[in-house]
Amino acid sequence: MRDALSISMQASNALVAVLVMVALIFAVLGAAAGETFYLRLATEAMIFAGLALSVDILLGYTGLLSLGQALYFGLGAYLSALVLIESPSFWAAMGAALVAGIAVGLIGGFIANRVRGVYFALITFGMAQVAARAVYNTRAIGASDGLIGVPIVNINLGVTSVSSASPAGFFLLVLAMIVVLYAVSAYMLETPFGRLLIAIKANDRRVPFLGYHTMTVRLGSYVFAAVIATLSGALYPMLRGFVSPELLFFSTSGNAVIAVVIGGVGTLAGGLYGSLLLTLLKSVVGSWTEHHLIVIGLLFMGAVIFFPKGLAGVLRPVVERMLAIGKP
Amino acid sequence: MAGMLDYIQFVLAPQVITGLALGVAVILVALGLTIIFGLLDVINMSHGEFYAFGAFVALALGWLGLPFWLLLVFVPIVMLPIGYLVERGLIQRVFHTGDRHVMTLLLTFGLGLVLEDSLKLIFGPNPYRPDTPIRGAISVFGIFVPSYRLFMICVGAAVIAGVALVIYRTRLGAMVRASAFDRNMAASLGVPVERVYAGTFAFGIALAGLAGVLLAPIYSVFPTMGRDFILLAFTVVIVGGMGSIAGAVAAGIILTQIQAISSLYISPVWSDPIVFGIMVLMLMMRPQGLFGRLGHA
Repeated sequence: MRDALSISMQASNALVAVLVMVALIFAVLGAAAGETFYLRLATEAMIFAGLALSVDILLGYTGLLSLGQALYFGLGAYLSALVLIESPSFWAAMGAALVAGIAVGLIGGFIANRVRGVYFALITFGMAQVAARAVYNTRAIGASDGLIGVPIVNINLGVTSVSSASPAGFFLLVLAMIVVLYAVSAYMLETPFGRLLIAIKANDRRVPFLGYHTMTVRLGSYVFAAVIATLSGALYPMLRGFVSPELLFFSTSGNAVIAVVIGGVGTLAGGLYGSLLLTLLKSVVGSWTEHHLIVIGLLFMGAVIFFPKGLAGVLRPVVERMLAIGKP
Repeated sequence: MAGMLDYIQFVLAPQVITGLALGVAVILVALGLTIIFGLLDVINMSHGEFYAFGAFVALALGWLGLPFWLLLVFVPIVMLPIGYLVERGLIQRVFHTGDRHVMTLLLTFGLGLVLEDSLKLIFGPNPYRPDTPIRGAISVFGIFVPSYRLFMICVGAAVIAGVALVIYRTRLGAMVRASAFDRNMAASLGVPVERVYAGTFAFGIALAGLAGVLLAPIYSVFPTMGRDFILLAFTVVIVGGMGSIAGAVAAGIILTQIQAISSLYISPVWSDPIVFGIMVLMLMMRPQGLFGRLGHA
């Protein structure tokens, strides 16, 4: 079936395909040049792109602004660090993150979904803030210092294995992970369940008249987004070798929201573009002043006022038209 | 029995007074938030940064040699035109878009980032500790109270009473309430709604600035000071009822007292989770909060 949603999803997929192509070229060039810094930076950007993806599923498709997705990102990061310190197994860390993401997402979703609109934004903000404060003050997991000494892992992929210490190899692995998360999200949004989310965004008072339980559907969306954020977070300690409470702070959640708005709300691909753009901007602006927040804040305000569709929101209709020419 | 009295006199009562001083400041911040939400339907995410801004303006003017009591008047006056311009120049630009809540929230969030980093750029990231303007302590019924905290409670209570008086007992307040209840009806009756909106926003910002001046001598002044404060202020607004003045006052006192007294028995580290737990329970059982919204009786 080719309706507006599947066409726009194809356009998003095309935008992501372009991104992957560029990333592959970048990885090859980087590996050939023996580059480390920029490959590591790009890996971090891709990890935060996963967080942006989860924000966009909630904001762009379900109409829920979460100001506390860092809660799940931090959960994944801390859990993965703890598992890796015990036994350096990539799949054990990801499995633990998946289970914890579902469990904590259900609890958080149950609390947050009792309310709508601004209350939802504030309650997610509050939950993340309290979790950050609790982690910051808990000695057992390193309190304000965080956890250091996460070992290098060898990721067994069956046919080959990748070391998290290899800049290009790990970049490709993270890229693959994020693309998988994107693909699962894009698939989910095209299922009847995903269309229901879009219906809730459009008018959540009418959906119950169609016989659906709004709360359950929103809870499903919330848990799905939580899992995406948790899995992305689980990749972080493999890259940096440590985790710190800053990962749960509001700045992390806020950055993901900024990335989604600059990249384009409700385009799914936009979060990935926005996150890369934001990281690039931070490193460029950060190289000549430490006050990059002024620039990013102004840019963000400008995007909200003049450019509310974001980058992908402008690009995607162009791609849609190109796709329409291809298949009448 | 004597032990009990000693306990009240030397442990409990000072804690209650300390909590009350904090409570008054929180109420000032929360009042601004709640009035802005009640009237404009806008969540001002930059409110905490305006609170920090007020503290820094006071700090800078203090360096110029202005006495403290003048700062209490000057800082809110400095904040008023800033707030007016922010409402006219920024918030109105996205005010009429489809999703007002989200758009204004995002915009003010961006503004908060810019403000905070600007303060960092001008004053540096390190905390300043202004001198306490009123030194010493006085004894009330055998309870030692630092004079400045007592002064803060009195000034804060007077301002809060003044705000309530203006909103509920003056023609200006009637215009504000009318605009909150029905914007179009108020406009057709000749209320300059646009100016009421901008003025109310400015007023809310000025209250946050005043809280910054009052709290600066107790806590330190640093660019991210608003961040720690804003969660508590939001909790007060939610528990009290978004857009309710009486609710902000009641919830502000209750929550800060719970914080103050609970920190006698358990580590103050857990005061945030407790306060947040109350907010969650409130949202689950009575999402509209303790009291109704501004303009809606």
